[in-house]
Amino acid sequence: MSRGGRGRREAELDEELRFHVEMATAENLRRGMAPDEARRRALADLGGVEPVKEACRDERRGSRLEALGRDLRWGLRSLRRSPAYAAAAVLTLALGIGATTAIFSLIAGILLAPLPYRDGEDLVVVRQHATRLDIENLQFAINEFYDYRDAARTLDLVEHHSMTFTLLGRGEPKRVSTGVVSWHFFDVLGVGMLHGRGFQPSDENAGAEPVLVLSHPYWLEHFAGDPEVAGTVVEMNDKSHTVVGVLPPIPQFPQEHDVYMPTVACPFRAAGEASRVENRRAFSNLTVFGRLRPGTSLAAADRELAGLAARLESEHPDVYADAGYGTAAFPLRGELTENARPMLLLLLATTLLVLLIACSNVANLTLARNLRRERELAVRAAMGAGRWGLARQTLVESVVLGVSGGLLGIALAYGGVDLLARFLGRFTPRADSVAVDGWTLGFALAAGVGTGIAFGLVPAFWQRLDLARVLHQGARSSDGRGHRRLRLVLVGGQVALAMTLLAGAGLMLRSVQALSEVDPGYATEDIVVGRIPLNWSKYADQEAVSAFYGRLLPALEADPGVAQAALGTIAPLADEFTLTRRFTIEGRPVDDEALQPQLDQRAVSTGFFHLLDIPLVTGRLFDLRDDAAAPPVAIVSRSLAERHFGLDEALGQRLSLDGGDTWMTVVGIVGDVRTGSLDTAPADTLYQPLAQGGFVQRAFLRGRQPERLAETLRQAVWAIDPEQPVDDIRTLTETRRESIAPRRTTALLLGLFAAVALAITAAGLFSVVAYTVGQRTREIGLRMALGARREEVVRMVVRQGLAPVAVGLVVGLVGAAFLGAGLRDYLFAVGPRDPSALLAGAATLLAVAIVACVVPARRATRVDPVRALRVD
Amino acid sequence: MPAHNLDLLQGSLDMLVLRVLELEPMHGWGIGERIRQRSREVLQVTQGSLYPALHRLERKGWIEAEWATSENNRRAKYYKLTRAGHRRLAEEAESWRRMVEAVAAVMQPTEALS
Repeated sequence: MSRGGRGRREAELDEELRFHVEMATAENLRRGMAPDEARRRALADLGGVEPVKEACRDERRGSRLEALGRDLRWGLRSLRRSPAYAAAAVLTLALGIGATTAIFSLIAGILLAPLPYRDGEDLVVVRQHATRLDIENLQFAINEFYDYRDAARTLDLVEHHSMTFTLLGRGEPKRVSTGVVSWHFFDVLGVGMLHGRGFQPSDENAGAEPVLVLSHPYWLEHFAGDPEVAGTVVEMNDKSHTVVGVLPPIPQFPQEHDVYMPTVACPFRAAGEASRVENRRAFSNLTVFGRLRPGTSLAAADRELAGLAARLESEHPDVYADAGYGTAAFPLRGELTENARPMLLLLLATTLLVLLIACSNVANLTLARNLRRERELAVRAAMGAGRWGLARQTLVESVVLGVSGGLLGIALAYGGVDLLARFLGRFTPRADSVAVDGWTLGFALAAGVGTGIAFGLVPAFWQRLDLARVLHQGARSSDGRGHRRLRLVLVGGQVALAMTLLAGAGLMLRSVQALSEVDPGYATEDIVVGRIPLNWSKYADQEAVSAFYGRLLPALEADPGVAQAALGTIAPLADEFTLTRRFTIEGRPVDDEALQPQLDQRAVSTGFFHLLDIPLVTGRLFDLRDDAAAPPVAIVSRSLAERHFGLDEALGQRLSLDGGDTWMTVVGIVGDVRTGSLDTAPADTLYQPLAQGGFVQRAFLRGRQPERLAETLRQAVWAIDPEQPVDDIRTLTETRRESIAPRRTTALLLGLFAAVALAITAAGLFSVVAYTVGQRTREIGLRMALGARREEVVRMVVRQGLAPVAVGLVVGLVGAAFLGAGLRDYLFAVGPRDPSALLAGAATLLAVAIVACVVPARRATRVDPVRALRVD
Repeated sequence: MPAHNLDLLQGSLDMLVLRVLELEPMHGWGIGERIRQRSREVLQVTQGSLYPALHRLERKGWIEAEWATSENNRRAKYYKLTRAGHRRLAEEAESWRRMVEAVAAVMQPTEALS
């Protein structure tokens, strides 16, 4: 009871008794007592105000609990008498609540739970942008980072960039994902070491002895979880690195690394450090994070950053002018969950729809059941419950069902969450922090109570019990026409929702199908690709690199299992970096660097195009002519040729990547290749021959048996350099399948929910038709006795049963249009109102609905007409 | 004759209250007075049990309450019968009547007493 209500009741009780005492006192005065005697007697006769108040309160309080207990017992007894109904209701609700709970637990773990860093809400990502150049994220150069770090008063800033180095000295040479960070990176994040120490300021001095911090998983796997690991020395980049500490097992941001090192230990950054005096944007690979200082807000930090950006722009006009340059801060939480949020919300919306369908199904079942036990309910009402009391009793019953469904749903969710968490691991690093915990249980129970009330209200309100009529009439009370209409409306609603879900699933499935049919521009069969990231300190110049590959390629080609071998810069669909460069065309000088066109730069061996079946459009491919001494040549992709020259004019043009110091001649045009992802357009690409420079780290092998090819590659590399790691070996068919995987999983999830919704709806329709037919047994018997054929009767029943389905379908199609609009970002090559998907969904629904109507209809016609007519 | 303590006959108290309220709506004090008067001073309601009884009857939905001004211009809580209360009163009266007849039948002087 609300506190206001209780206060009011107390005040009223007080006033009521005060009135009594005054009246009694007045009466006593009238009888001749003295005033205080009169009042004293009045109070004594009452027996004291407080005891009376207490007794009145007891009457009200005890009664409420007592009533609830009675309702509960009655409800349980009643449910025990209808086990089929109870089982059907609990199962249906369990499906709906289970799905919703599973999604909720994911949301709680990923979106709602606090960040595992101290005061995580104060952590931000800082980003530069150059809006005029369409650059949303302009990574920081060393100079820029220093400028902001030294000037910012609202934020403590740290830098981070990611490298992959080779770690030697612990068995096989290993590639380690390395986070190169400011010394106080972990302090800013608020992460303490599990063992040893983090970095200290002296670690960042030029020339300091290199140190390492290990991530927890890496420490467990490669250092055997040794707590005394501090002091171990390993070799990286031709220097000895001493391990000083181990991180605790928390999710790492921005990505999972194996080890961390301070900024001065990264040779590439060191090179950038050396050249930053002349080159303002030397080594622009940094990501910057920060923590808000106490007492400041995100808005204040944003303002300060904007001001600093403006100052930098005026100090270095040659770099930043007219670029739309600016800097802003973004909360870290959003970064971690950004990718997963839309997916999670979509799933939540879907499961809520399923839950709604489940509720309306159970409401339908309840309506039918209440009609069957109208007499029992009427008796209850007559025994003094009143309309509200009766409604309360049936609500208690439905809440019991709801909570039972919720408990069963938790069991279902428990199984499903694991699967879903693995799926979401692709979108966010937080997926492993998901589990069925207290929050989830609470949610499931609340959902149970909520759904119980929701589906219980419908029948409760519908109960217009005319007691006398029911009690005295005997069998069926009303003809239940309004009752039946309500049930049909519920069915129509379910159909609409199911249609919406089916349409959504259909759209996603069509997208997946379209995606898998996309021609990436290259072959994928029988091709294995592996990564050979050369140790840059060892292969420091072009000569050494060429020597290595000059030995590797022939060795690979000599192997009998290898049909073709080639080298390239990146593997398609492998989600790697791209080397995007600005270029100039001879004869078309462009002063402003910002306005220069861009391309993706690749280096390839001569057999590359042939191996991958990339077609030659015109001109020639690379061959042995194009060695280091020959004039620089290039092959461009079709899109580049068309965009800048037209296909006929491209051959012979000259391009420069370094502002005109060296020029390459275009000797060939090849087909476009999708390397980013299947649903983005292929980029303008320029290929250089390996011998003439460029950066490769991928080896491609084509042959009959992919498993053997992997081993062949490893052995060939180690024969040349035993310390050279080879990793990420997989087939191109695998990479292609994996790139579609997220969409496929989403489509499958939606399909699963849609199927569940369809099943529930079909069951609901079935029960309504069966019930209606049961009501009309006499009529059907009459018709058949009068000569109607069975098919006619079935058709009549089906037609009437399909009426709400038709309405529901139309409404559902409208809903599907909305859902399609919401799904637009996930669809590929399929419009949100794609007719084939909608049609397929509608057809499925119609087919299922017809079956759900036909079965009970046919069963009804099988009844002996004579027996049917005899029904009282 | 000593005033009978109606505490022992809680069911009877309920019935009497309903009967009083059948005639006209009344506040708690008035109900007690009316019962006293109509029973010619025989039945004196223990006031301490009257109010809990009224609250119980209200909770059961047989009477409902409304605040109004009394005859001496004070605010008082008036009770009146609900439809359910009318029905209840009829049932109670009927079963009371049957009980009274049954008791009277047993106590009939067909044979000599003592």
